Amino acid sequence: MIAVARMAMLDLRTVAPHRYQGLAVFGVCLLFLTHNPVVFVPALVLLLTSQVAAHPFLIADKAGLETLYAMLPLRRRTVIYGHYAWAVASFVATAAVGTALTLLLARIQSAPLGGRTLLTVLTLSWAVFVVNVAIQFPLFVRFGYSRISLLSTFLPLALVMMALARLHLTIVTFAELQTWLPLLWVAGAAALVASVAVAVTADHRRVRNGAAAPGRER
Amino acid sequence: MSSDLAFALRGVGTAVAGNFRLRDVTFELPTGYVMGLIGANGAGKTTTIRCLLGMRRIDAGEIELLGHRVPGPVELRQDVGVVLDHTCLVGDWRLTEVERTLRPFYDRWDAAGYRRLLGEFGLDPRARVKDLSRGMAMKLMIAVALSHQARLLVFDEPSSGLDPVTRDELVGIIGDFLVDEGHSVLFSTHITSDLDRIGDYVTLLHEGRIVRTGTKDEILDAYRIVRAGPDDLRGLVGVQLIGARRTPAGSQALVRTEEAALLGGDVLVEAPTLEEIAVHVGARAPRREPDPGVEGDPARHASSLSTGGAS
Repeated sequence: MIAVARMAMLDLRTVAPHRYQGLAVFGVCLLFLTHNPVVFVPALVLLLTSQVAAHPFLIADKAGLETLYAMLPLRRRTVIYGHYAWAVASFVATAAVGTALTLLLARIQSAPLGGRTLLTVLTLSWAVFVVNVAIQFPLFVRFGYSRISLLSTFLPLALVMMALARLHLTIVTFAELQTWLPLLWVAGAAALVASVAVAVTADHRRVRNGAAAPGRER
Repeated sequence: MSSDLAFALRGVGTAVAGNFRLRDVTFELPTGYVMGLIGANGAGKTTTIRCLLGMRRIDAGEIELLGHRVPGPVELRQDVGVVLDHTCLVGDWRLTEVERTLRPFYDRWDAAGYRRLLGEFGLDPRARVKDLSRGMAMKLMIAVALSHQARLLVFDEPSSGLDPVTRDELVGIIGDFLVDEGHSVLFSTHITSDLDRIGDYVTLLHEGRIVRTGTKDEILDAYRIVRAGPDDLRGLVGVQLIGARRTPAGSQALVRTEEAALLGGDVLVEAPTLEEIAVHVGARAPRREPDPGVEGDPARHASSLSTGGAS
């Protein structure tokens, strides 16, 4: 567990040099969504958290961090778990800060914002986050960020669009949506666990093929 | 498993991209010594090192590292410092952040030692990794390796691209590291002059196979360099010419010492340097039909004289 936390910290330090870009995205979201605080958290998750969670893969590709991971006293499995732990921590942080700001904006604007609405917003944010991470991470692990970035961006987006269209067709009332919320949390968690398993298998296959630490060889 | 060995590879084989593969790679280094792994670009040095470090799966053979079979426990990596020809660190990290990032992973990290080494190496702790020169980046990786108190340092072509002053400093650093008798160094390079100074053992690698391994003196004694007129080395019987080259001015080749006595009086026989051995062993022959019986034997490159050797 400690090793996973260390790996997640390594991911944090990997993205830390780009924190000002993240803050800029956060600021832009805040600026444009001030008048509509309800969508603030989902927008942050879609635009910021998904990028931040995947950023270690991008930097790892550029800086050859796979070699570093192979040199550190870390199991390959721990590296994968650490990436997921980092992603979930990013979501929790975004959701916490975003929810606080949403409540603050709603109070300033005297906008009605009940607990059910907030829970619904958080659940949908969770679903968006899970779809992104669960699809992207195994692809990044298997192929590397730069080789698969286009497809890995498109796939979750297409799935979210399809789900939204389906949701719009089948769920017509807010009350109906409420009944789906617990299922979405559980299904999201299950999807993440399944994604971890797929990523570990993909990583095992890649190591078996001799690509644990990409780079010049011979 | 022997505790007297820093590492040992026994019959190691692994397939790499294309047709290249390591075949039956066998060599070992006793604890407390420096081994130079010599070979031309593409000989398999980096692949061998990756196998040794458990970064690449092997198809055949076994590897022993610091008394453990590879792949061993991850804690084994606490004792191995790796210095590559590139940093594999985030370019935007400052050197202080490198320390903060890596320290949690190592049980015996010496923070004060890291800062002292940065000072000794003339590295500014506020500098960013991406702003370091090649020599400075290598020194940073050495500082990291020494700060977690590794027992075995593995250098993968550290001196290529370094200026002579920095290479001299590197030799000094390795010398200091070896003051502790429990420390060992594996040093892959194609710049053999460094090994002339610090190498105790030498392993020659060519096209994924071990050509010869042993102490530096054994390697130097095993070969002779022969020089003669342009056609004087033609048609010799019982002598295998390794990496033979012919120019209008004369011809030159490497031969096994025991075969040097078979050469005539017109041939000048001299003791080779490591560089000459590496150059001739690494020389490629003109393309011809493969002979399965002598595959991988450097002598197969020498049966006919060529002006097209890649030496």
